[in-house]
Amino acid sequence: MGGCVPLYAVIFITIFVTLFGALLLFAASKVGKVYKDKVKDETYECGIAVQDKVDTKISIKFYLTAILFIIFDIEIIFMYPWAATYKEFIASGNGLYSLGAMGIFMGVFIFGLWWEIKSKALEWE
Amino acid sequence: MTAEVFLFWFLAIVTVVSALGVLFMPNPIYSAFSLIMTMIGVSALFALLGAYFLAGVQVIVYAGAVLVLFVMVMMLFDLKSEIKAFTKGTLGGVFKIGSVAVLAGLILSAIMVTTQGVAIKFQGQADFGMQPTRLLGNKLFTQYVIIFEILGALLLVVAVGAVALSRSKGGTHARRID
Amino acid sequence: MGSDIFEVTVNALKLVTIFLVMVSLVPSLVWLERRGAAFIQDRLGPNRVGPLGLTQLAADAVKFIFKEEFVPAKAIKFMFYGAPVFALLPASLALCALPLGPIINIIPFEAFGQTWGPYIFSIQGYEASLGILFVLAASSLAVYPILMAGWGSGNKYSLFGALRGSSQIISYELAMGLAILGVILIFGTFNLNEMVTAQNGPLSFSAFDYSMTLSFLPNWGIFYQPIGAFLFLAAAFAESNRLPFDLPEGESELVAGFHTEYGGLKMNLFFIGEYGHMIVASALMVIFYFGGYLIPGVSPEQVTQFLSGFIDSQNMTAVLSGLIHLGAFSIKVFIFLWIFIHVRWSLPRFRYDQLMELGWKTMLPWALGNLILTAVIMAAIH
Repeated sequence: MGGCVPLYAVIFITIFVTLFGALLLFAASKVGKVYKDKVKDETYECGIAVQDKVDTKISIKFYLTAILFIIFDIEIIFMYPWAATYKEFIASGNGLYSLGAMGIFMGVFIFGLWWEIKSKALEWE
Repeated sequence: MTAEVFLFWFLAIVTVVSALGVLFMPNPIYSAFSLIMTMIGVSALFALLGAYFLAGVQVIVYAGAVLVLFVMVMMLFDLKSEIKAFTKGTLGGVFKIGSVAVLAGLILSAIMVTTQGVAIKFQGQADFGMQPTRLLGNKLFTQYVIIFEILGALLLVVAVGAVALSRSKGGTHARRID
Repeated sequence: MGSDIFEVTVNALKLVTIFLVMVSLVPSLVWLERRGAAFIQDRLGPNRVGPLGLTQLAADAVKFIFKEEFVPAKAIKFMFYGAPVFALLPASLALCALPLGPIINIIPFEAFGQTWGPYIFSIQGYEASLGILFVLAASSLAVYPILMAGWGSGNKYSLFGALRGSSQIISYELAMGLAILGVILIFGTFNLNEMVTAQNGPLSFSAFDYSMTLSFLPNWGIFYQPIGAFLFLAAAFAESNRLPFDLPEGESELVAGFHTEYGGLKMNLFFIGEYGHMIVASALMVIFYFGGYLIPGVSPEQVTQFLSGFIDSQNMTAVLSGLIHLGAFSIKVFIFLWIFIHVRWSLPRFRYDQLMELGWKTMLPWALGNLILTAVIMAAIH
């Protein structure tokens, strides 16, 4: 099987699923009855008039979570090739070298995590 | 036209069109979603070349992490007034066209330099499985191990910086919380 | 997708079937969930429509389709409609990459006055050679439908729900990635098929030139990665927004989270996406830690040999053996799906700060510790 076989299949299923969902929604929109009503079209707010704008200010913690996620995600991605080659390194007798190289990297990772916990960056109040 | 060439053109067109979408969408959130599409298209092109690890990383890191931040920030903060000031008017137009011109020049010169004397050939038929990834791991932990460790330290610095910037007390942007 | 029309058709049909099975599993799971919940809470659950309430599914489907089409005035149309459609994609892309059964070798056969074959079919949508990476990449895109729905609805509850949901998903993705790293360390590959084949046979440890075989236990990943398996399961609950991690839909604070403004079939598509994530998570759990499609104590070759005692046709034997393994895989997956359902009715919901604390301060360090422990033990016993 050639390398591009899965790619064709992935593109095929992507298009199929998107069309499936879109057609289903389209069909459902034609079937049910629609009663237009100005009050009904309003944004949901448990029975009273709408209180806030959508774009109100939101806690910076979400932003911090996202940026810390990127950093840790990149570090974890770098561990993937290491995990894939670790067995080979062990088999060739260089297991401790590989473990040490990753150990330093992981030490930095753990230090970062420890520092963030200590500096209360991950605290939600 | 072989299957790979067809696939290449299909993916290339999708990628370029969504990249143009990033530039010309009126709403920055739509631009961000176009950028996600661009990243996925680039990743599919990597996969076509047999670089599966790179393709996976491209989606996981860029589409799955960096752009989540972009989209979240755009939803979090009311950017509308800033964006209007930036994109409207002659200054915005000049900046847009200027940046596109500079980028296009850079990319063109990069292509001309790197493809000099290189015959472009599709490698799409080959599937080496885990072999390229193992090779990458080997290189990363032998030849480039110092750079790899420095990278770890760099990421730590970024994390510290992000935490420091977002602090409400004692940071550079100290402000009272009531 | 293949060299001739037969192969292309089979491969395309496989993809479509896997997707449609995922979609049609959802109503059955919903029925199971409602009945199961009722029995756990000592009530009857849906029992009016048909025997055991089984046709409740059809009634629900009809109701979903005939619901009024409703778009709030402040909604952004493209995002509002796009979100439920794209909610289907990550789960179905990931599910198609999972090995559901062994490879079927078809020897040449005669049909329609022509010789066809030989073919090699895998019971799998497509074989991504770096399977784990593909699955992780596909499921890392699951944040966007939620964000699109939250932003597109033009409702602050939706937006808050979406932000909470996406922060939760990305936070637990880290613990999940680290738990999977332990599995990769053990098997030394990203390929899911190779992982499953490596779990064949009885459990055997080898350390310090001394090896021990426990013939009554299968060689499953759970015996090498017990902590990793538990962390993976917990992270999978959070990734699929299931209780006790269903904060994005915390009714008491956020109405219904990111799908507050959704109803009818649009809501149903989100549902399919959510259950799809559950199915993918259960299937991954089985592949990583519980031997995938392998039947404990019996290797695929033995099954084929056993079958060839009854059936002459070699092709029929191969197909039947594939289907038997597919059945074994489905049974294992269903056990985990039941765990998902049971947990929902056993545990209360976390508070948001507890949720983030658990993800970052408990699961991340534990997953790191598990990884380091695995690596050190692997280096030590050599």
